[in-house]
Amino acid sequence: MVSGVRQPFLDSLAAVVLAAGLALVLVVAAGRLESARVGAAEAEARMAAALWEQEGGGADAVVGLLGARATITGADAGGAGPGPAAYAYEAGELDPAVWIAVAPPPADGPRDALPVTAIAIALAGLTVVTGWVLARRRGPTRTRYPVSIALLSVGCIALTAVAAGRWTHGELRSLSAATAAQGARAVQIALAAGADPADAARVAQLPWAQDSSLDSPTEQWTMPAAVVAAIAASSERDVETSAGNDAISLDAANAPAPTAREADAGARLIAPHTVEAEGATWHVARTADIHVALLGYERTASPALALAAAGGLAGLLVALGLHLAQLASRPRVLGRTLAAWGLLVPAAALIVAFTLGPLLFSLWISLHEWRLIDPAPLFLGFDNYAALLSDREWWSAIGNTALFTLHVPVAMAIALALAILTRGSRRALRWARLALFLPGITSVAAIAVVWKWLLSDQYGLLSRGLEHAGLGSVPWLTSPDTALASLMIIGIWMVVGYQMVVFQAGLAAIPRDWYDAARVDGAGPWQRFRHITVPGLRHTLFFVLVTSIIGSFQVFGLVYVMTQGGPLGATDVAVYHIYREAWEFLQFGNAAAMSWLLFVVVFAATWLHFRFLDARRAHG
Amino acid sequence: MGSVSRAGQGVVLRGVEKRFGDVVALEPMDLEVRPGELMVLVGPSGCGKSTLLRLIAGLEESTSGEVWIGGRRVDEVEPGARDVAMVFQSYALYPHMTVARNLGFGLRMRGTPRAELEQRVAETAAALGLGELLERKPGQLSGGQRQRVALGRAMVRDPGVFLFDEPLSNLDAELRLRTRDEIAALHRRLGTTMIFVTHDQVEALSLGQRVAVMDRGRLQQVGTPAEVYRRPGNLFVAGFVGSPPINRIPLFRDDRGRLAGGPFVLAAPSSLSRATLAVRPEDLAVAGPGEADGDASGGSTRTGDFRATVLRVEALGSEQRVHLDGPGIAAWVARASPALRVASGDRVSVSVDWERSHLFGPDGRRQEGVPRPAEQGVSR
Repeated sequence: MVSGVRQPFLDSLAAVVLAAGLALVLVVAAGRLESARVGAAEAEARMAAALWEQEGGGADAVVGLLGARATITGADAGGAGPGPAAYAYEAGELDPAVWIAVAPPPADGPRDALPVTAIAIALAGLTVVTGWVLARRRGPTRTRYPVSIALLSVGCIALTAVAAGRWTHGELRSLSAATAAQGARAVQIALAAGADPADAARVAQLPWAQDSSLDSPTEQWTMPAAVVAAIAASSERDVETSAGNDAISLDAANAPAPTAREADAGARLIAPHTVEAEGATWHVARTADIHVALLGYERTASPALALAAAGGLAGLLVALGLHLAQLASRPRVLGRTLAAWGLLVPAAALIVAFTLGPLLFSLWISLHEWRLIDPAPLFLGFDNYAALLSDREWWSAIGNTALFTLHVPVAMAIALALAILTRGSRRALRWARLALFLPGITSVAAIAVVWKWLLSDQYGLLSRGLEHAGLGSVPWLTSPDTALASLMIIGIWMVVGYQMVVFQAGLAAIPRDWYDAARVDGAGPWQRFRHITVPGLRHTLFFVLVTSIIGSFQVFGLVYVMTQGGPLGATDVAVYHIYREAWEFLQFGNAAAMSWLLFVVVFAATWLHFRFLDARRAHG
Repeated sequence: MGSVSRAGQGVVLRGVEKRFGDVVALEPMDLEVRPGELMVLVGPSGCGKSTLLRLIAGLEESTSGEVWIGGRRVDEVEPGARDVAMVFQSYALYPHMTVARNLGFGLRMRGTPRAELEQRVAETAAALGLGELLERKPGQLSGGQRQRVALGRAMVRDPGVFLFDEPLSNLDAELRLRTRDEIAALHRRLGTTMIFVTHDQVEALSLGQRVAVMDRGRLQQVGTPAEVYRRPGNLFVAGFVGSPPINRIPLFRDDRGRLAGGPFVLAAPSSLSRATLAVRPEDLAVAGPGEADGDASGGSTRTGDFRATVLRVEALGSEQRVHLDGPGIAAWVARASPALRVASGDRVSVSVDWERSHLFGPDGRRQEGVPRPAEQGVSR
């Protein structure tokens, strides 16, 4: 009808939506980058201030140092290029005359990569629009959201991710080099001011305070090349070295040199590690560099991730906008679509907040070292996973879990037998079913407590009963040989009722005709079981098997209440191991990595089962 | 089938009764199915015909009475050992087995040697045109193909008695007709005893050598299709068999000892206080309004037995169904030749072929003898 009028309108609407998406990407990315820079610089300033404080005011003065007392006083001090080039920090209440300058990052990485990202996103958006227009032109009757646009949206997301990756790489390199240099310089300041490096590090909460090799003054350490280069690169501009003594003054734009301290600072006397660069003498602590470099790496990874996510989000938004624009010509469909999404929002929000969010958080945590009390997780990459591969205790826990899972087939066999035996509507059978089902709906903690009491060596009902029968007592839960088996027996007792009910539902779904036909065909009870019941229950059996195995891999309550993983780690199962790692040893990164490894194992098992089932279904 | 089948086994029921608790599913009954016969059990749903079939198969146990198959009493014999094969309404194919394994399952359960089993499966599949489908599963077959597999599963065992439990009711109309013919042909070829359960009286009459009509757990009549149609033993059989259904009118004894109702006054054949007159639609002859003498089929009177108003005419091509209206004959239908010219609203004269009419007593039983109009029978 009015397609001639409507078409340009839709096109411009799509363009506006696209532009909004692009702007969102850029704003988010720029904001993240800026905050990361400020954050990194702030961390440097804190450390430097802490080091300074160690020299001047003592350990207790450090408390509360961070935050209010450190203020940014200059944003464009270096004048070396566009954008913020240097930050100066004033450690306010300590000494009004003290200024610490932080050198600007080298101006290569991000500035090169950022346009690439923007171009990539713009290109992706352009392809989306083009694809959409083409799809519209191909047939006016075809008003459904075409697949090609969905594919293009995916392409847009992928392109953005790639660009973000590239950008990250450049940004990462420059930032780590810069922070390494800053860290080195901060340590230098402290050393020049006469602080003991180990003490300074401890006050600044740096891990290398525990590095015992620092105590060895004779050892020769080598600075990382990046640090040397960074120092060398920035020395010409930033630092003046007085020829007479080795005191260092920092020449940031408005910052006066700390002349009051200069006389006392006998750097040559106390500095344990020195490097010659550009004719000047630099004092460096190696481990600090590494740590600070890591800190920088961590802080750089997140804006890149955010950028990639924002790119994806923008892609989705564009797709969404196009979709809605297309639906605008069909108000009823549009209304239905909006209503459907409106109804989906609460559930989706819950899933994102309580399922997807924690899931991603745990994945993120698994890449870090985090003890809950740390201010910021330390990025380790895949170190946690790598360490787990050779962690014997972890694999022992996995082995225990696998062993425990062997109770599943036994329980299923018993449950199937019970399901067949207790079929029917007679009163006694109904009571039997109820009794068998009860453990399944009882609290695990209650069950565990009762069983613990029953199985106790000294006053346990079972042990005393066996003794009375003259069979001698069994150390149910106190021997490494029997503890896991005891738990397996209780596990069987717990799940059999539930499995039985599921099996009965499955049995009821098998048509009686099949049994009749088999009887006329001459099949006896066993053959009917084998050829009718088992194949008819195939899906039920599979369902119970998979859910039981997953449940078995997640066993926790029984172990927690009854054995606490003992004796001698015989019942230390995976989830309990993870729990202890997180809440007893406060190794959350490790625990998260374990959780993900466990997930991979369970997922693989389930997937194999599905494949197996599919194969059977396909080939008979 | 390679081997020419042995003649079928006779099936004899003596006083067989089935109760589920207090509910009587089958009242005690006697029934004999002769060797090689195709007997159809027909009746409305819930009449007990399927229960009777399951009793013969051994899937149900009778409360009392005896079941004999091939001269052997089988009440204590397992279904698999009764020398019967059954085709179910749902076909009851084993869904996880291929067609070949479905066909061979019964033989396998009996420990038939593998070579023989494979040969017989192949022969049966060839006979039914299932050769291409042997490696498929039931889920991949059409309704008609499944039906043939179910048939093949029964055939492959070469049983003494075939039992069919409404095997055609899940097929569409065309396929049902074709399969019905196939089953009839199969019966001619194999000569095996077959007991076929259906609720469709047309199917029963067209397929059965003899038909057993059942209602409410009771055997109503056993006879050839012609007997059942032409000489229904009681009112239920008369009403159940035939389409469109037989026309009926209740008659009461008047003060002159005649049976009267609607337009009819009949000479009472005996001391009946009331009775029901039943006439099949094809035994009514309708004369068009223009014809002075309303008779086409050599009826007994010149001017017709009664006059009625035409309510509606169904022109079916090969025949016309004339729906009549009048006191006591409101739902009557007459069959007429397509040549007859009538339209709704016409007054027509209708003759009754009394030789083919039926009179049933107050208990529903057939009264022997031909109903006759009394001397002044035609009232209007």
